[in-house]
Amino acid sequence: MGRERFRTGVEAASSRYVELADWGALIAHLAADPELGSDRHGAGDRRPRVALAPSLAHAQPDLVAGFTDAGFEVAVPDGDDPAAEVADVPLAVVRAELAVAETGSVLVSEHALGDRVVTMLCRRLVQVVDADTIVDRLEGAADWLREHGGQPGFASLMTGPSRTADIERSLTIGVQGPDEVDVVVLTTPSGGADEA
Amino acid sequence: MRTFEERYRTALDDPDVRAGLTAFQRGWRESRDAAIAELEAAEGRSFDELRQELAAIKDDVIANGDRYLDQFTANAEAAGAEVTRVATPGEANEQITRICHDAGATLMVKGKSMVSEEIGLNHHLEAAGITPVETDLGEWILQLAGETPSHLVMPAIHKRKERIAELFERVLDREFPPDDIDRMVKAARTELRERFLASGVGLSGTNALVAEGGSVMLVCNEGNNRMSVALPPVHIVTAGIEKMVPTYADAMKQVRLLARSATAQPITVYTNFVTGPRPGQRQHILLLDNGRTAMAEDPDVAAALRCIRCGACANVCPPYGVVGGHAFGHVYTGAIGLVNTAYHHGIEAAAGPQSLCVSCGACATVCPTDIPLPMQILEVRSKVVDAGAPTPAGRATQLAIAAFGQRWLFDLGIRAAGVVTTPLRSDGVTRVPRWLAERPGVREHVGWRTPPALPVRPARDHLKKGKLDEPSRLAAQPLAGRTVQLFLQCLSDRVAPDIPIAAAKLLRAAGADVRLPRAQHCCGLPAFDAGEQDAARTMVRQTIATLEGVDDVVTPASSCLAMLEHEAPHLLRDDLDDLERAQQLAGRTYDLISYLTTGPGRLPAGALDNGDRTPVTVHRFCQSSTTLQRRDSVERFLRDVAGVEVVPLPEAEVCCGFGGSTSIRSPELSAGVLDRKLGCVDGTDVAILITDNPGCVLHLRGGIHASGRQVEVLHLAEYLARRLPGADATPGGASA
Ligand code: SF4
Repeated sequence: MGRERFRTGVEAASSRYVELADWGALIAHLAADPELGSDRHGAGDRRPRVALAPSLAHAQPDLVAGFTDAGFEVAVPDGDDPAAEVADVPLAVVRAELAVAETGSVLVSEHALGDRVVTMLCRRLVQVVDADTIVDRLEGAADWLREHGGQPGFASLMTGPSRTADIERSLTIGVQGPDEVDVVVLTTPSGGADEA
Repeated sequence: MRTFEERYRTALDDPDVRAGLTAFQRGWRESRDAAIAELEAAEGRSFDELRQELAAIKDDVIANGDRYLDQFTANAEAAGAEVTRVATPGEANEQITRICHDAGATLMVKGKSMVSEEIGLNHHLEAAGITPVETDLGEWILQLAGETPSHLVMPAIHKRKERIAELFERVLDREFPPDDIDRMVKAARTELRERFLASGVGLSGTNALVAEGGSVMLVCNEGNNRMSVALPPVHIVTAGIEKMVPTYADAMKQVRLLARSATAQPITVYTNFVTGPRPGQRQHILLLDNGRTAMAEDPDVAAALRCIRCGACANVCPPYGVVGGHAFGHVYTGAIGLVNTAYHHGIEAAAGPQSLCVSCGACATVCPTDIPLPMQILEVRSKVVDAGAPTPAGRATQLAIAAFGQRWLFDLGIRAAGVVTTPLRSDGVTRVPRWLAERPGVREHVGWRTPPALPVRPARDHLKKGKLDEPSRLAAQPLAGRTVQLFLQCLSDRVAPDIPIAAAKLLRAAGADVRLPRAQHCCGLPAFDAGEQDAARTMVRQTIATLEGVDDVVTPASSCLAMLEHEAPHLLRDDLDDLERAQQLAGRTYDLISYLTTGPGRLPAGALDNGDRTPVTVHRFCQSSTTLQRRDSVERFLRDVAGVEVVPLPEAEVCCGFGGSTSIRSPELSAGVLDRKLGCVDGTDVAILITDNPGCVLHLRGGIHASGRQVEVLHLAEYLARRLPGADATPGGASA
């Protein structure tokens, strides 16, 4: 039930909603996406560059290999100048801590600069969340925040691609942040690093 | 900043402002109402319940500010932030400049921050050799144009896309077709992207400070705010001390109402909780007072600190729709700006803008923190008057109020005016001779609104004992054996006597014995509205004394009832005895419509159906909707009891622009609001417009006459009296 409500919220916020079994299925799904082979993402018949949030790549090192095997060029911006490593990267993948059915939002924790630039500088952002972390209401996200309160952190509830209506209240998608968002719900629960 | 007068004139002279804002307000209203309805359905609770819950959270913070500030500070510092409390804009600017210098930064990217506008930060930075770059699209447009925000949420809403395209062409030196908004947005993205990455300092505002975790909550749609915060090596947070909420769960309650009230979204694209700096970053949080403690200590305005800066109060404000936020506000715009400006920028800065409020009450109905904005604006108005900073028009109003307070003087004056203007009277209006009408000082008052005819004899003369004819009787006699004290309203008594005369006919037709308390004068509303609280108190006390007793009191003026129910208890709050008398009186006083629908004079269906099927439309007196909660009761009554077809009037409950003294102090503004109303009337294609407040009747009548429209404006009482058995279908003869 929560998943249906979540889906409605995601779609209302102009994101794509996809349910997949696990990370392997996600890589296959992206590899099969005709858009990602197109010129729009500047890649000809090759798969484009994909940025993985460093926290995700470190927790699940096999993802780097998985994407590489599927033909993607993988960037994990954890060097001295993470922004330069992913400036205008066409595709990025992050893992969310949880999802909120009420609003169709995902909660992404992005404390390190490398994690932040991934969600901010890419054009298309894939937000991956485990089905069993969907909470009904915003208060569920508040619980998570309280548990992590007092510790340094940058927790972002994200709901759709960036947008503006600043010019004559006319809605335009894609401003400073990504202009396309995929929300991927993984239905086979996984335990982060355990999966690696 | 330019003077208020300059800002007001500029706004009036710019045709884009009114056209753009009216469209914006209409669009917003529709989508916001849908978003709130959806929320009510999902939560199973009303908007009122939800906003009261949020208000209670904020009130706790206002009452216990220091405790939460200390808690927040301890938690934020534990997470690595440096928290500083600053008292004044000067101190804040100094701190921010110092932080930039210490970091060796010469470029600052800025997320949206109203506090930075409040303290005039950009000027200070530029003087100190630091270049601020606004990154919110609207703010960036304004920075390029050298302007300031005119709205809390949509800063550039006063600018049409054609002007923005011209601006982009000039600054970026390439072509921008005005209809290609996407191209403008993408250009901003490209221009700003490098700045985010090159900046030594990022500055943001704050939507909430969460005490329990030391987090700064920031919302945005574009992604600019979080980029300003997240990327540069130094992050400065500017926050008013009132931004505190105790818990994350409380913050979520704010989230639930904020985006819906601001942009009709369930939630903004990004809602960030920033707790301390990231590794390798420094974070400075500046907590600004600048008058907030003084507000918290003043019970008249403390609730204004609940504000979450959603902008909804501007979006429903009819005067805002005419002149926009540069005139309707100072740095803070909309209704809230008319209140908090007095505390953040001084009473002089507040004086001009507050005079534009028509007291329609619309703002308070949409405010997600339930701030009693209309009453607070009147409190600020009274402080402006007390501070002795009135404009020449203000001084004239003061004199008029003083004269008006003396009933005999007022009576004498108005009777004399009636005699003098007799030759000019025709069709219920005073035809001002051309030589006079075209003179400056007269022109702006009569060009758009023909003055009403001034009768020689007031209504009270016609309603004296022994002067009344035998009434025509309705079949239904709900008021048989009942005595009704008629409260005439000062304005109708002397300027529109047909209205109370018609009301008396109607009540008598339903069986009432109508009496006229002799000493009645004025409920005090005009004086209160002019900020003259002492004069208002005297008048309301006099009214209470005159109407004391046990009978029903009925008035054809809904505004007087609103005064007795809402403003009088507020004015008399320090005198428990008077307060109780006021409440007792309010308890047995009715406006005509409530008396005839839910009160003792309840008429059965069809009681006033005389077979006349000419369709009508209804303007709802604004305070009937916003303050008295009458909603569609006039329309329903006309359909059910009079059997007439009522064509719905678009924006029926939006103010007509009369606004008491506003239409005299700021005639151009009032004319603009009236114009919007008459445009809606045109759309109905109906020849009879009915409303139930005399002020609206006179204002609409004058406007319709001056514009040459062929629509008859009638007070509900006048319209209904025509439908009585044996009634003459033309207006009564009192004004002739
Ligand atoms: S006063 Fe109320 S409606 Fe106006 S901006 Fe503040 S919270 Fe919104």
